[in-house]
Amino acid sequence: MAEADREIIKPEMMKSYIWLQTSDGSIQQVELEVAMFCPMICKEIHSGMGSSKNYPISLPSRVNPAILSLILDYCRFHQIPGRSNKEMKSFDEKFIRMDTKRLCELTSAADSLKLKPLVDLTSRALARMIEGKTPEEIRDIFHLPDDLTEEEKLEPIKNTIDDPRIRLLNRLYARKRKELKERERLKNVDVEEEHVDDRSVEDLLSFINGRNSDSKGVKTSKNKRKNRTRKDPQRNTSSNSTSSTNVVNVDKEFNGLDLTYHDPSTCDHILSNLGKTLKLLNIEDSFPPDDGFDGDDLDDDIDPAMKEKIDREVEDFARRLNSHWPERMQEILSLGQERRRLPTAFNCNGSFRTYARLDQQQK
Amino acid sequence: MDDDLRGDLISDLPQSIIETILTKLPIKDAIRTSTLSRKWRYKWTTITDLVFNDKCASSYYDRPNSENNLVNFITHLLFLHDGPIHKFALSTSFLQSSPDIDQWLLFLSRKGTKELSIELGEGEWFRAPSCLFMYSKLTHLELVRCELDPPPHFKGFLCLKYLNLQQVLMPPDDIENLISSCPLLESLTLSYFDSLELTLCAPNLKYLSLEGEFLDICLENTPRLATVSVAMYMTDDIAEHFEHSSSCNIDKFLGGVPCLERLVGQIYFTKYLSVGMDRGINRIKYDRLKIVELYQVNFEDLNEVLAVLHVIVSSPNLKELQISGSSNTSAALLASDLGIWEKECSKDYMFDQLKTVKITEVSGILHEMGFIKFLLVHSPVLKEMTIIPSAYVTDGRLNMLVNLVRYRRASAQAEVIFVQEQL
Repeated sequence: MAEADREIIKPEMMKSYIWLQTSDGSIQQVELEVAMFCPMICKEIHSGMGSSKNYPISLPSRVNPAILSLILDYCRFHQIPGRSNKEMKSFDEKFIRMDTKRLCELTSAADSLKLKPLVDLTSRALARMIEGKTPEEIRDIFHLPDDLTEEEKLEPIKNTIDDPRIRLLNRLYARKRKELKERERLKNVDVEEEHVDDRSVEDLLSFINGRNSDSKGVKTSKNKRKNRTRKDPQRNTSSNSTSSTNVVNVDKEFNGLDLTYHDPSTCDHILSNLGKTLKLLNIEDSFPPDDGFDGDDLDDDIDPAMKEKIDREVEDFARRLNSHWPERMQEILSLGQERRRLPTAFNCNGSFRTYARLDQQQK
Repeated sequence: MDDDLRGDLISDLPQSIIETILTKLPIKDAIRTSTLSRKWRYKWTTITDLVFNDKCASSYYDRPNSENNLVNFITHLLFLHDGPIHKFALSTSFLQSSPDIDQWLLFLSRKGTKELSIELGEGEWFRAPSCLFMYSKLTHLELVRCELDPPPHFKGFLCLKYLNLQQVLMPPDDIENLISSCPLLESLTLSYFDSLELTLCAPNLKYLSLEGEFLDICLENTPRLATVSVAMYMTDDIAEHFEHSSSCNIDKFLGGVPCLERLVGQIYFTKYLSVGMDRGINRIKYDRLKIVELYQVNFEDLNEVLAVLHVIVSSPNLKELQISGSSNTSAALLASDLGIWEKECSKDYMFDQLKTVKITEVSGILHEMGFIKFLLVHSPVLKEMTIIPSAYVTDGRLNMLVNLVRYRRASAQAEVIFVQEQL
């Protein structure tokens, strides 16, 4: 009944058609009222296009015939005035039930036609698909490549938790992956290994851990990082006094814990102490970014100097975990007395001079 | 094109669409998209609408210190954010006054924020820092539980269209100044203000909602006002003020609103209107007034009844009427002047458009029944009249029904629905 009324009301516009051309060249005939619902088509019509087959309105490239028919269905329904909210909502719910690829194409096409209500509808549907899902699930739905490194995958705000343990473990995983990659690379490319003197940091660690110069076994895969270590000495002079006291404290702690090394919780405790100590040792330092530095690390929000320390820590931790505990314990106990015999002739770090001095005092 | 070859379905959509999608997600999920892929790493940082609530930080941190968690979350997010921020909404019960909020507000004042909404927890009310008054582009402002103290040189929010102040402590003069210094103001909501005498000058105001203990409300310059909703609470002070008032309140309130489309009055509103009824009123017609809802009308007070009558008789296009009574006595009053109905309007006056009437909390007292009778006689196109008796009145219901049945109806289509059990 209503259909007939409408036709009587506007006789001159009875089933007027206009012509639309899609990106693939095909031309379609569409009812005028339906097409007018799209602002972009509306504009074109007003400027005289689309009235005949020879002058069709060219639709943007993102609109292919299949998507166009969907859009026209939407317009056909919504352009009829007097639809109740309930009706429209129910239609919309059914309308957006389609596979993800099509939904994305539809969103893109609706945007290029400036059809805001449809863009809103499809965006809401896409948002619903993302909400509450894990990153893996979302990557799966939208076929996103998994091309972030481990650190990058840490959520930016979650990552600022002040928990050295989490950071260390994350770095460990990252390190492992990179090591694998490096091994692959090294197989193909000849890389001259620089024997950079990195004993300063190494020995610092050894001192803390109650070991002697075992550190030479450290992998030198991160050559670039070693270069940075050189810059270390100048900056550490400021934190000398604090460092020494802390080292002594940590020492005492470690002594106390000697016998309980294979308890995992204690291990964590040691690790957290390590983290705290290293942090205290190096808080004020901030290094300018090195050009040769890995792009990934620049994104990291941990202070670069801190990062180095953590790198070392992680390597040690990894080594420790992999080695056999009783042997280690013996080693540690036996080396306990040896640490006082550290040579004083270390060439880089001012702080070691302090430690050496400390040693001399203790003697 | 083969789906697998192309892969990525969504990352290459225009940035505006991505932002629309991200804005429709809760903020946590929006940030989490940075872990999806290389292209998505920084897509979230340019979203312009930031909405925070108590759920934001809780799953990130396991520590019980929710206030710190939320503060850290928001601060870090603002650090990572890039670009303008058009909307900032914070609604939390954990956070009270905090120096961090002041810092955020200062930060946002440089980001072109247009919509600001802050609702903090019960407790010490947040004192708005002076940088709030530097938000030059502000169009929406919503504050709950805070202290506002505009600096003396404050010239107003020149773009402000929507203002909502709930439980806000502000010197009374400043409230009026604030409102009148926002020339584009279209919607004003003031809730839970104490002992306020309000004079409104807002030439563009279309929507007004007031709730609180108002001594006086004068709509001095609000020619475009279309919807008014007022709930007035009573205190002894206010009651006394009414006693000694020498003005005609209906004039003050409804005198300058010819474009009124909807009027909602609650609690003591009709009492307020009734003050000064006998002092001669200017008759304006409210040609656009279509819906009138007046609740808690005391039908035992003649003046209040007259006020209600005045309003509806001045609205020739009234479509919908809802009235609720407030008396809970079922005693029949002394037969007072029954001719009041005819005094207000001539016998031939008809409510030509009145289709729906709903009267609730009916106790069956004289004036209530008189009112119903009046409406039935003068509403030729009435479709439905619903009458719901007060829950306190059980005995008088039969009497009510007996009377109802007897009343003449001008409309042949009228259905009088007496609701026995209110579900």
